[in-house]
Amino acid sequence: MGAFGQWEVPLYFTSILEEHEAVRTRAGVFDISHMGEFRAKGEAVVAFLEKLLPRRIAPMQNGQAQYMPLLNENGGIIDDIILYRVAEKEFLFIVNAGNVEKDFRWIKAQVPAGVSFEDQSEFYGLLALQGPASVAIARKVFGASYTELGYYRFAAYEDGVISRTGYTGEDGFEIMVSKPKIPQVWERLREAGKEAGLVPVGFGARDTLRLEAGMLLHGHDMNDTITPLEAGIGWAVNLTKDFTGAGALKKQAQSGPQKKLIGFEMLERGIPREGYAIVRNGEAAGAVTSGTFAPTLKKNIGLGYVRTPEPAAGEELAVRIRDRDLKAIAVKLPFYKRTKS
Amino acid sequence: MNFPNELRYTKTHEWARRDGNVLTVGITDYAQKEISDVVFVELPKSGKEGQAGKPIAVVESVKAAFDIYAPVSGSVTQVNSALEGDPGLVNQDCYGKGWFFSIALKDASEWDKLMTKEDYEKSLKTGV
Repeated sequence: MGAFGQWEVPLYFTSILEEHEAVRTRAGVFDISHMGEFRAKGEAVVAFLEKLLPRRIAPMQNGQAQYMPLLNENGGIIDDIILYRVAEKEFLFIVNAGNVEKDFRWIKAQVPAGVSFEDQSEFYGLLALQGPASVAIARKVFGASYTELGYYRFAAYEDGVISRTGYTGEDGFEIMVSKPKIPQVWERLREAGKEAGLVPVGFGARDTLRLEAGMLLHGHDMNDTITPLEAGIGWAVNLTKDFTGAGALKKQAQSGPQKKLIGFEMLERGIPREGYAIVRNGEAAGAVTSGTFAPTLKKNIGLGYVRTPEPAAGEELAVRIRDRDLKAIAVKLPFYKRTKS
Repeated sequence: MNFPNELRYTKTHEWARRDGNVLTVGITDYAQKEISDVVFVELPKSGKEGQAGKPIAVVESVKAAFDIYAPVSGSVTQVNSALEGDPGLVNQDCYGKGWFFSIALKDASEWDKLMTKEDYEKSLKTGV
C-alpha cells in the first residue's frame, strides 16, 4: 500500500500492466476520494474567482467545468484544479490530495465579503470510471442522460455530481458523492461492468495512464516555482485578463521562459526516472520529472524540464541513467492519443 | 510463497543455485511479488567481476528501479539475455526462465554464508 496524502490507496489490485491495459481497451474504476473539494458561493463569487484564477470565469455555463492552475503572485503553480460551475453564484473546486490544506489556506485568506468558502473534502468521495466501455457502463448504472454529457460538462447526481472528465486519456466519468455513498456506487459499477471487463485500478496504473496521455502531475511535473508557460499549460491561462500571477506571467511571456517542459522517448534501453539528468550535446540541460515504461506504447517515456531554446520534436537527447548517457528523442505531447469512435 | 529447498538466499532477496563452482542467480518469489510487473532488466556483461554484496544488475518495475546484489564474489560466466526481450519472465518463473546471471564461485565459504530457505523465511517474518 502506498500513502497519498493521508489516504491509503493501493498501488495496484492485480498488476499495474493489467489494470493499465483494461482502461485502454475496456474500463477501469478508480477510488480517488483522497482528492479535495472546496465550495465557493455568494454574491461576489464570480468577481472573486476572476481575480484569483487565470481563466475567464464569467462565461462559464452552469454544468461546465474547466481545468486550470492555481497560481501564486510569481505565477508559480500552487496546484492544478478543476473548477465546476454548479450554479450562477456557486462553484466547486477539485484539488490534489497533497495540496488540500495549502490551497485552502491560500484561497481562504483572500476571500472577500459576500463569498463563503468551505473545505468539503471530508464530506465528498470521488470515483473515476474510465475507458472505452465506460459510456455503456455509466448508462446502465446512472442512466442515459449522463452519457450525453459533453467533455468537461457535469450534472447533479445524488448529493454530488457526475462529470465527463478524467486523467487517463480515455473517455470516462468522475462521480462525486458523499463518502458513505461511495462503496455502493463502487459496487454498482463493478457489477454493471463485469461483462465489459471493468477492473478496479490502483495508483500505479493511474500514473502510467496519465503520463502516456501527456498529463502533468503536480508535485512532480509542476510546483509553485514553475509557471504554466514553462509547464506547457499556457492554454489554461488567459493573459488578456487580470488575476493573481498575471503580472509575472505577462513579463515571462515577453522575455520567454528559461526552461520548458518536454516529452521524450528513450531510443536506447533504459527507463527514465524522476531526477535523472537530461543531457543535450553532452551537457546536463535539465532533469526528468516523470518517467516510466509506457505499457500501451511499449516504450520508455518521460517528461522533464530543459533550458530554452527547448529541443524541437525529433531532436536527439540523452538521459543519464546510472552514469551512462542513453539516447532519447524529443517528441510531441501527448505520447498517446486515443482514436475517437 | 515458494522458496525451493535446494537454493540459498540473501537478505536482499536474491537466490542462488549451486552447480559445482557456478552459481545461478535470480530474485526470490517474495521480491518479484513485491516489485510487481518487471518491465526492464539490466544485466552485467559476461566476465564482469562481481563483489559479494555489491550491485551487479538492475531490475525495474513500472514504478521504480532496484539494484540486484552479487550474492558472492566472482566473475560473471553467463547472463540470461532472454530477459531483455521478455522481462516479465522474472514474474512468471523467477526460479527458472527468470534467472539473471551465473557467477563463478571463488571462495566456497561465501556459499556457506548464504541463507538457507529456513533462514530466509525467518528473516522475512522478523524483517531482519
